[in-house]
Amino acid sequence: MAKARKPNSDDVVRVDFDFRRQLAKKVEGNLASFCYQCGACVGDCPAATYSDEFNPREIMLKVLYGLGEELLVEDSVLWQCTNCYNCAERCPQDVKPVEVIISLKNMLADLNIYPPTVEKIIGTFEKTGRTTPLSPAVDRQRERFGLPPMKPVPMDEISKLLEPAPDEEDDSE
Amino acid sequence: MKPFAFFPGCLIPVRYPAMEFAIRQTLPKLGIEIVDLEGASCCPDPIYFKSKDKLSWLSVAARNLTLAEDLGLDVFTNCSGCTATLSEAYHLLKDDELRDKINKRLKRIGRKYKGTSRVRHVATLVRDEAGYDAVRESVVRPLDGMKMAIHYGCHLLKPSKIMNVDDPNNPEVLEKMVEALGATPVRHRNWYLCCGKACQHEAIPLNMMHALLSTVKDVEAEILCLICPTCFSQFDHGQMKVTKHFNEDYHIPPVYYFQLLAFAQGIPYEKLGFERQRYKPESLQRFATSSVHVEG
Ligand code: SF4
Ligand code: SF4
Ligand code: SF4
Ligand code: SF4
Repeated sequence: MAKARKPNSDDVVRVDFDFRRQLAKKVEGNLASFCYQCGACVGDCPAATYSDEFNPREIMLKVLYGLGEELLVEDSVLWQCTNCYNCAERCPQDVKPVEVIISLKNMLADLNIYPPTVEKIIGTFEKTGRTTPLSPAVDRQRERFGLPPMKPVPMDEISKLLEPAPDEEDDSE
Repeated sequence: MKPFAFFPGCLIPVRYPAMEFAIRQTLPKLGIEIVDLEGASCCPDPIYFKSKDKLSWLSVAARNLTLAEDLGLDVFTNCSGCTATLSEAYHLLKDDELRDKINKRLKRIGRKYKGTSRVRHVATLVRDEAGYDAVRESVVRPLDGMKMAIHYGCHLLKPSKIMNVDDPNNPEVLEKMVEALGATPVRHRNWYLCCGKACQHEAIPLNMMHALLSTVKDVEAEILCLICPTCFSQFDHGQMKVTKHFNEDYHIPPVYYFQLLAFAQGIPYEKLGFERQRYKPESLQRFATSSVHVEG
């Protein structure tokens, strides 16, 4: 039988504070700090119900431990979230796990890692100001219903908004 | 009643113009006047673009809201995703620090976000501005005895503190709206389940939709009534996948509420674009030859 031993320095959990600082800079990225691991967010989470890999409480725990390298990877489990907001409804601490997950996806984007479908839709938006591409067939369909043709989005304005300000510290909670 | 600025988003005007047609046909009959928003972009979407950069997402959302502020009007949307983005922006931008940051970006295009236009989902306009009775009175061809299951979807109700639409654990707004058509709402066991559209995984949404559709089938609903084009696309495309994958037969046409209202208000079935759906609500046609005189 293993003998009880005194804890030594190897048992100390080392938290990657740099990862947590980066995450906290994202809008609502800091909310995980209030998580006390009760698990209330798990019961009604459809992704957790239908996938063995996904669990919002565990994701919050990884955030608390600073285990960014497990989350910020290609094919990250983060993309299994359905964005249903049940976790935000259930959390007694107002953590909004779904918003922390989206903030983590913002960190993935900083690393230029996206699933292909997601990257494609973002690209369509950045090019046209809409996520659904236009085509001549679209206006023909609209005409059938007596609707006017689609107007282009003023992209000069949109593009100017997408550039971060040089002095912009993204540090809101 | 003041008019409302109409934020149509992209999915409805581009892919589902029949839904836009239905909104424009039905709201005036309920006494709701709508004004178009010039120069609007995608809200932007709360799933994909928000995942890239929340600050840019907020900036574009704030710009869309300033278009309504310029008109001095509240803004309404016909898509739960757009409602989610714009409502969340409205909520988050109450924070002075964040608002200053976003306004620095808006200054580049000569705009300023003030927070003076509230955001409404079209369902709440029906409930709060027109009232269910006005819907009932506008109906010339009641859908008597038609059993309808309802898909609330997630973003109409949640996060409830931001959306402020209805009790997310026991909502009633869509049931009441369906009743006002003369139809009978039936609640299925998995009514609260999300459609899974945003999930980037094969099996999860398939299993979710299967769970949902099978309980809709159990209650013998003829139609799955919903109020979001994204939920619609998920059920219209996904149902076929579910049928194949589980080798079970599903045939539950999803229908956008305002097309049902337009039909009940007398617009002919053939004018409502149903032929473009994979699952067509053909059972509606039994009302087409009712004794009620139908114009249009
Ligand atoms: S419900 Fe909230 S506090 Fe509880 S585990 Fe989930 S995130 Fe943490
Ligand atoms: S939003 Fe929350 S409850 Fe819904 S799938 Fe994502 S983690 Fe789960
Ligand atoms: S939520 Fe969907 S439909 Fe609405 S504007 Fe955004 S991408 Fe377009
Ligand atoms: S049910 Fe699906 S499409 Fe509808 S709001 Fe939820 S995630 Fe979006």
